[in-house]
Amino acid sequence: MSRKSFTVDRRALIAGGLLAVFARKGLVFGETRGNRVLVVGGGYGGITVAKYVKKFAPNAEVILVEKNSMFVSCPLSNHYLVDLVDFGELCFPYNSLVVKYGVKFLNDEVLDIDLQRREVITKGGRVRYDYLVLSPGIEYDYDENPALREVYWHYPPAFKPGSEHLYLKRMLESFEGETILISVPKMPYRCPPAPYERASLLLSYIKREALPVHLYFVDENDGPPVLREGFLKAYRDFYKDVATYLTNTKILSVDPKARKAETTQGTIRFDMANFIPPMRAPRLLERAGLLKKGQKWVKVDPLTYETEHRNVFVIGDSCETYLPKSGYAAHSEGKIVAKIISARINNKKWEGELVQQGICYAMVNLRQAIVLEIEYKYDLETKKVKKLVYEDNTWKVSTAKRYYEWARGLWRDLFT
Amino acid sequence: MNRRQLIKTCTSLATLSLFSFTFLSARLSAQENTFKRYKRALLLDKNGNPISPDSIERGKQYIFFYPYRSTPAFLINLGKEVKPAVVKLSDGTTYEWKGGVGPKKSIVAFCAICPHQLSFPTPEYSFINYYPPDKRSKTAKRGNVIQCCAHMSVFDPERGGIVLDGPSEYPLLSIVLEESEGKLFAVGTLGVELFRDFFDAYRSELKKMYGSFRKAKKKVDKSVVLEVEEYVKEIIYC
Repeated sequence: MSRKSFTVDRRALIAGGLLAVFARKGLVFGETRGNRVLVVGGGYGGITVAKYVKKFAPNAEVILVEKNSMFVSCPLSNHYLVDLVDFGELCFPYNSLVVKYGVKFLNDEVLDIDLQRREVITKGGRVRYDYLVLSPGIEYDYDENPALREVYWHYPPAFKPGSEHLYLKRMLESFEGETILISVPKMPYRCPPAPYERASLLLSYIKREALPVHLYFVDENDGPPVLREGFLKAYRDFYKDVATYLTNTKILSVDPKARKAETTQGTIRFDMANFIPPMRAPRLLERAGLLKKGQKWVKVDPLTYETEHRNVFVIGDSCETYLPKSGYAAHSEGKIVAKIISARINNKKWEGELVQQGICYAMVNLRQAIVLEIEYKYDLETKKVKKLVYEDNTWKVSTAKRYYEWARGLWRDLFT
Repeated sequence: MNRRQLIKTCTSLATLSLFSFTFLSARLSAQENTFKRYKRALLLDKNGNPISPDSIERGKQYIFFYPYRSTPAFLINLGKEVKPAVVKLSDGTTYEWKGGVGPKKSIVAFCAICPHQLSFPTPEYSFINYYPPDKRSKTAKRGNVIQCCAHMSVFDPERGGIVLDGPSEYPLLSIVLEESEGKLFAVGTLGVELFRDFFDAYRSELKKMYGSFRKAKKKVDKSVVLEVEEYVKEIIYC
């Protein structure tokens, strides 16, 4: 048996096994009536779709499946690491979706998706759908850099919401060493400015408290992918004495016991680290057949976020689109998909969105922030996208205040 | 009336009421984006006297609260006659906006709650502001607009508050003004109201600001007009 055929057979076996196991389980929510929208993933994208489909098409049956019982925001989580916000400010219950909008919330984990039968298989059973929206976020891709697999347990990346941030914060609070290492994977990954913001906030904190700490920032990219001028100015003018910034540098191996990392530019010893691994769309989408071999992100129609399967959409960080991978982008995409699905349920026409926008704020120290606004205009005739970028790299306290209001606005939209 | 007649009459009434309800719902739905009358509120200056339209300076942003004591609105003199406009919503429905009032028909009023994600001027900050023609927004690259700096929605006060740019789904809600004997009155709203969402989103904040949620939702019959600079500590432009 060749390796290839074995791989296929093994996959088929696993898929068949899963189906065989779960085929015995009953249908959760029963049969559909032609208007059931099943949303997988209760993050920024998924919540937006669930809420807005109910708003635009109240007759739709909307089910949101989410494995966590509480929403925790990744935006502003770097603020939490340096005490600018409380963790509680980032946490929201899903109850307003249920009470105010009539969304059905299923606190369960999705194990597989059967696109032929139009069923999602969860731990608790099977859920049928007429429209499927997948917004499952990211998965850490340790196949891309196996050196980082083991250190996950020692040094949480804190790029998924929730307990990783709590753990990282606790490590920072009890830290008494002298060297911190932060590593950044190659783009694309979730929230492009976030690692640079995290480093800036930590460095600002280190300087304010006059701590004898040095930060090694190991970046696989040739520089910050967005807001470069603002971040590099921060490094050059304020943090160079307490930080070393290495670009085009990859982590090759890590010895967590010896606290030693081998990089393409030599060995770095550290007392604490935050290794941010490469990322990809969750393997669930691969099992469902939405990701082909070697693909990390699901290809979708850039105007509608629909996959090659009619009425199956992928939004947020999992899909390959023009917008940067961020909560705000997922939220915008969620609104577009909600309009499309609602129109279909209401027997109306909706072509998709020709203009899409993204906004990224980032702190450069404990008080000031910079901002990036991106707009994509799709030309239907040339089928080309025009990108308009507005960056304000001037450090401003007022931008930091806008940043906070930006996040609060998103939360208001999701939870009220 | 025999049994057969009774059943027939009841059936007819039930059918009629069903149609009437449908008709009524359709009418209500059609009116959702149109004029909604509230208490007629006299606009006052900060000394408590009726504000004269002539005293509203061109290019300045003023704030008053209407129709509820906690819902802010901008009052702006655009400095030239503002003609009526048809405002089109993303669902294709339209409504007619009446344009400016005052001696030069240059005074307009809009709800100052951003229809995107409900940012509004508080005594601490204002992220949503009017930019006069000579003070262009850097991000919108134009003046004579109302812009919310949280998510960069840009609105046109000269054309009924329509969305010029940014993520807002709806135009600014228009506050309908009337002028009578040199006095200005707010009489209602025109457009898509999001007051319910606003009250839901800010329940605890409003309770703190006004003593109780009920007090925050009290409708006004007079409202003091202030310059935004007098009401807000920090105006945040972008």
